[in-house]
Parts: sequence; structure tokens; C-alpha cells
Amino acid sequence: MADTASGWEQPRPRQRHMSTRTRRRLLRAFAVIVMLIYTVLTLFPFYALFIRSFVSTRDSAQLHLWIPEAAEVNMNAQVGNLSVFYDLDLADLKEAFGIPQTDFIMSRTSLRQLGEQYSIPEERIHDFFEGFYTYNGWRTLLTGTLYGTSFWGALARTLIITVISLTLAIILSIFTGYGLAGLRRRDQMFVYNLYLLQMVIPAMLILLPQFLIIQWVFRLFPGYGEPGPLRWGLQLLSIVLINIKGTALSTMVFTAAISSIPKELEDSAQIDGAGSWQYVRYILIPLLRVPIVSIIVIMLPLIYNQFLEPYVYLDPANTTLLPFTQSAVGQFSTNFQLIYSAILASVLPLVAVYLMFRRFFIEGVMSGAIKG
Amino acid sequence: MQAASPGTPATTDKQAAGRRRSRLARQRILRDWMFIAPQLTLFVLLTIVPFFVAIPILFTDMAQFNDPTVAPVGFRNFTALFTDKSVQADYIPALRRTLIFVALNYSTVYIFGLSLALLMYEVGFRGGFFTVVYLPLMVSGLAVGYMAVMLFSRETGTANLLLKELGLIKTPIDIFSAQGTAFILPLLVGWRYAGYNMAIFLSGLLAIPRETIEASVVDGATYWQRLWRVYFPQMWPSFILATTMCLIGSFAVFDELVAMGALYVNPEAKLLSILFFTYGFQVQRLAMGMTLAVITFFPLVILGVILQRLQRRLQY
Repeated sequence: MADTASGWEQPRPRQRHMSTRTRRRLLRAFAVIVMLIYTVLTLFPFYALFIRSFVSTRDSAQLHLWIPEAAEVNMNAQVGNLSVFYDLDLADLKEAFGIPQTDFIMSRTSLRQLGEQYSIPEERIHDFFEGFYTYNGWRTLLTGTLYGTSFWGALARTLIITVISLTLAIILSIFTGYGLAGLRRRDQMFVYNLYLLQMVIPAMLILLPQFLIIQWVFRLFPGYGEPGPLRWGLQLLSIVLINIKGTALSTMVFTAAISSIPKELEDSAQIDGAGSWQYVRYILIPLLRVPIVSIIVIMLPLIYNQFLEPYVYLDPANTTLLPFTQSAVGQFSTNFQLIYSAILASVLPLVAVYLMFRRFFIEGVMSGAIKG
Repeated sequence: MQAASPGTPATTDKQAAGRRRSRLARQRILRDWMFIAPQLTLFVLLTIVPFFVAIPILFTDMAQFNDPTVAPVGFRNFTALFTDKSVQADYIPALRRTLIFVALNYSTVYIFGLSLALLMYEVGFRGGFFTVVYLPLMVSGLAVGYMAVMLFSRETGTANLLLKELGLIKTPIDIFSAQGTAFILPLLVGWRYAGYNMAIFLSGLLAIPRETIEASVVDGATYWQRLWRVYFPQMWPSFILATTMCLIGSFAVFDELVAMGALYVNPEAKLLSILFFTYGFQVQRLAMGMTLAVITFFPLVILGVILQRLQRRLQY
């Protein structure tokens, strides 16, 4: 990219007659084209994911660039195939057609045979399967449960963990930054360097011992062994604790920001009778708007998209969005449509938040990146 | 203070003031620590202590987390890399794949991050384009992995089908083949982090004093010369930060691999992080897995510390 751009900057004799303005304009046009291409390439996977969540598994080997038209269910389709590839719930089917639940339906029975056997009119079968191939992924995802949790439960747990973790992480990091501000003493420098280590310690290296320590502590609680609110609460708590333990970035950002606030402000607050706590609460936190935004926008995707820790720590019935998605994939590995619906559903909430607050994201990332 | 001789009123005053100052200083230290303590406790317990808890386990044959029979084995876990054929068969291909991935992923830092930052810098900051470039960072690693599968599966990949329709490729790209995994994965990971790397380089570029650029333009430097003589030398902190982040991030890549089936069906996606995880949680070789992790990450941590030092020295 830089190569091609450089052509317009070089004062070659042949181009001398071109005015600076023309050259500028050409450079602009070139840049706009590059940006357009990159934009299309970036948005394409999202678009493809959206379309694929409506493409039934049997059509997945054909190219679809738009939501396929709802195909009629073939009367020769076998019940077994429908339940393997499209997660057709046989209990639902029996209930809808008034078949006793105790009756056994052979997996090779076709819909036509089923209709003849139980004298169900063809119309009713068509009605039952209305939009079946197109919306089957979304229907199964949003109404089904998997290992004791539904999609909505997993989403709710993710949101709870994200909100609590972010709030506590910000408050604790501001405390740390206030305690370290100025970095004048040796003990402050030592703590600061300890936090910097976090950036270079790979999460994978401490994952196993971290898991051991948390397990040791949690075993002290009597009810931890059996599934129940206590066990699940503790498990969610462990994820929150890991998220709020402080990072190199938050420590650096808040220490630098608080150090740059004039000391006179604190002195005058003290003379007016404010204690340290009141100073932090009423004067410092409102002044730290920019660093708070920048830490939120950097940590939000990390916490929302956390996979490894919830995957290891949480029971399947108590899990968050991404491990839920992963187990849905494991369970329905033959239903591509459902898999892509689940992936898109896990991506959408954060993308919506991002698009709504994009100004803050840009501001926060640019000011956070400068600090490193 | 110590030299002051008691007796004269002047020195007593000074002494009292000194005592008051040291009392204030002590109070200040106490107050600082009250604010530092809550998060530091968590940090030490969950990041520093795990380091030290890990050490004794390395010298045992602990197979899983609640292993009832743990026996010490001395340095056997450390030498296993050279003596145990089964460990070698797991470790060496995983190491090779990881190194290839790190190298390719590092080049995407420049292919995506640096070029986009330069583009943005030359034509002026565009909020809309920044929004687009930064968008993939909202996508989880898991979803990026599944997007790779969706786009580049041999039979059903959307990108494959599209490229074939347009006549651009004859044989479809296969994400589950060795080459497919090796090239597609860094491409998508680079795409995901493009916005982050762009922000790092862009803030490096924005910190360059404008006079140096104007001077080079007046002196008739070509764009290429300007890049190498003016921009890059003044962007060292950005380069080091991007390098550190990429190194740490590449060795820790995990979610994308899980999505590509690394834990079960796709051996070509088995990088080191997957190996450590399988040893710890699946095949009952916990102590061995942790030892391999320590051996692998130790040089990396040292390198990371050095890079961090370097960056801070350059920044101040």
C-alpha cells in the first residue's frame, strides 16, 4: 500500500506538471478505494454468517448470497434424517399430530408414510413444517435447552458477570492507581512492577495452578460438592475474581492519570475536611472520565468474550454464552444452521453495544493505546 | 536530623517539624497501602501465587487435579522432552506449528496494523473507517474460528463457493488441511486484531512532531525515505508494544483453535496451548503438561520483561 502511495509523492519530472491538488485528489481516491475494499472484506464474514444462519444444512454446499426462499418440506423426507440434521423434536411432532407419545416412530419412516399411518392430512404436515428449513436454527437455539441451561440463561449470566466485573475492576484499579500515584517510594515501584508482570505472564501458564488454588479455597465451603445455588454462585464469583484482579494496563493507565492531577487539589480538599475516601469518591472519580472510558472499552470485549476460564470453571448447567455455544456445537455438530445461528447470536449483543457507543470506543482505544 | 544537637530552641523546633513530617509520611504510606491492598491481594493470590504453587507439582507425577496418589519423580518431567518418545511426538509438531503461526501472525501486525495506520495518518483520521477496522475485535476468538470454518470448509465454505463461482480458484481451500490451517488462521487472527494494532501505530504516528515531517518534505525526501528515516525511528515504543502484544497473544491463542476442532478432530490445529490444555484436563498428564508449559514460556517471559523495560526506557 505504502509502495503505491509513494509514487504520488516522488517528484518525478514526468509528474511535475501535475499540480499538488491533482496529486492530492488522486491520493485521496486511491485511499478511499483501499478503505472500501477493506470495509467490504471486513463486513463480508458477518454478512455470510447472517445468511448461513438461514441456510439449511442440506443446502450448505450451494452458494447463498441471500436468505433462501422457504422450501417446502418434501413428503419423502425421513423422520430420522430430520431429527439428526435439523433437530426435529419428535415429542413436539407427536403432540402436534396427536400421536401417542408412547408410539415408536421408525427413523426411516417418511412423512408420507407417517401421514398414511396416522391418517393426518397432508395440509397439516405442511403447516407444521412451515418455514422449517429456514428458521430451524434460530428456533432451536432460542427455545431449546442444553445440559440444563437455555441460551437466555447463558446470556444473562454473561451480562451479569460482565457488568459486575467491569464495575469492580474499575473501582479497585482506581484505588490501586491512587495508592501508587506519583511512584515516589520504593514499595510503590515494587507493586507497580508486579502488576507489569501480568502483561508478560501467559494466561495458559497460570491457568492450571490458578484452577487448583480456587478449587482448594472453594472446597472449604460445605455445599460446594453438590450442584445448587451455592456452588453456582461460587463458580460465577471465581470468574469475577479473575476478571477484577488487576491488569498491567489498568494499573498503568490509572497511575499515570492520577499522578497528573495536581497535588494542590488533594491538599485543598483535605483542608476543607474531606478524608481520602471522600476525595477519591467525589473529586477523583469524576476527573477520571477519560481513563475510565478507555479501560471499559478495552476490557468489555475481553470479559464478554471470555471462553477459557468459564469453560474450565463453570458447570454446564451454569455456564456463560461462549461455553454454551461451544457445547451446542459439540451436541449438534451435524446441524450447521444451528451452529451459525448460535455463533451469530453470541456476537450480536456486543456488536450492537459497540455500534451504539462507537465514539467512546475510538476515543478510549486511542487514548489507552498511547499509554501502552 | 540525626546531626541536630538537642538544647537550643531552634533545633527543637526543627526536630518537631521533622517528626511531624515523618508521622505524616508514615500516615501516607499506611493510607496508600489501604487503597492498594484489596486488588493487590487478589492479584498476588491469582497471578503470582499460582506461579509458585506450580513449582512443586513440576517434580511429581500428578495426573489430574484430584489425584490421590502423587509421587515425587525428580527431574523426570524435565528430561522427558529428550527421552520420552510419546512426549516428543506430541510436543515437537505442536512447537513447529506454533512457531510458524507466531511468525505469520507477527507479519499480519504489519500487513494489517501498520499499513492501515499509515493510510489513516496520510488521509486524515476517519471515524467511520476506524469503526469498521475495529469491529472484528468485538468478535470472540471462538466465533472467529467458526467463521474460518464457515468460510473455508472444503465442501460448504461460503468463501470457497464464492471464489469458485467467480472463477478465481479451481481447487477449494481446505481449512482442515495443514496448509489451510497454517495460513487461514493467522490471516483471521490478524484481521481480528487489525484495529488494535492500528491504534498502537496510529498513536505512535500522531506523537511524531510535525516539524520533522515538514522538514523532510521541504528537503525533498521521497515517501519511502520519509517512512524509514522520519516515521519509523520515532515510533520505537509502538513497534515494541505491538511486538510484545503479538508474541504473548500468539502463544496464548486458544479459542480460535478450539473452534477449529483442535481438541478433538483437527490435529493440524494442535498448537502448544492446546497441548498444555489436553495434558492438564484430558489425558491425565497434568504435571507433564505444566512442566512443558514452564519450559516453553520461561524464555518468553524473560523476553517480555526485556521488551517492556526497553519500551519504558524509550518512552521516558
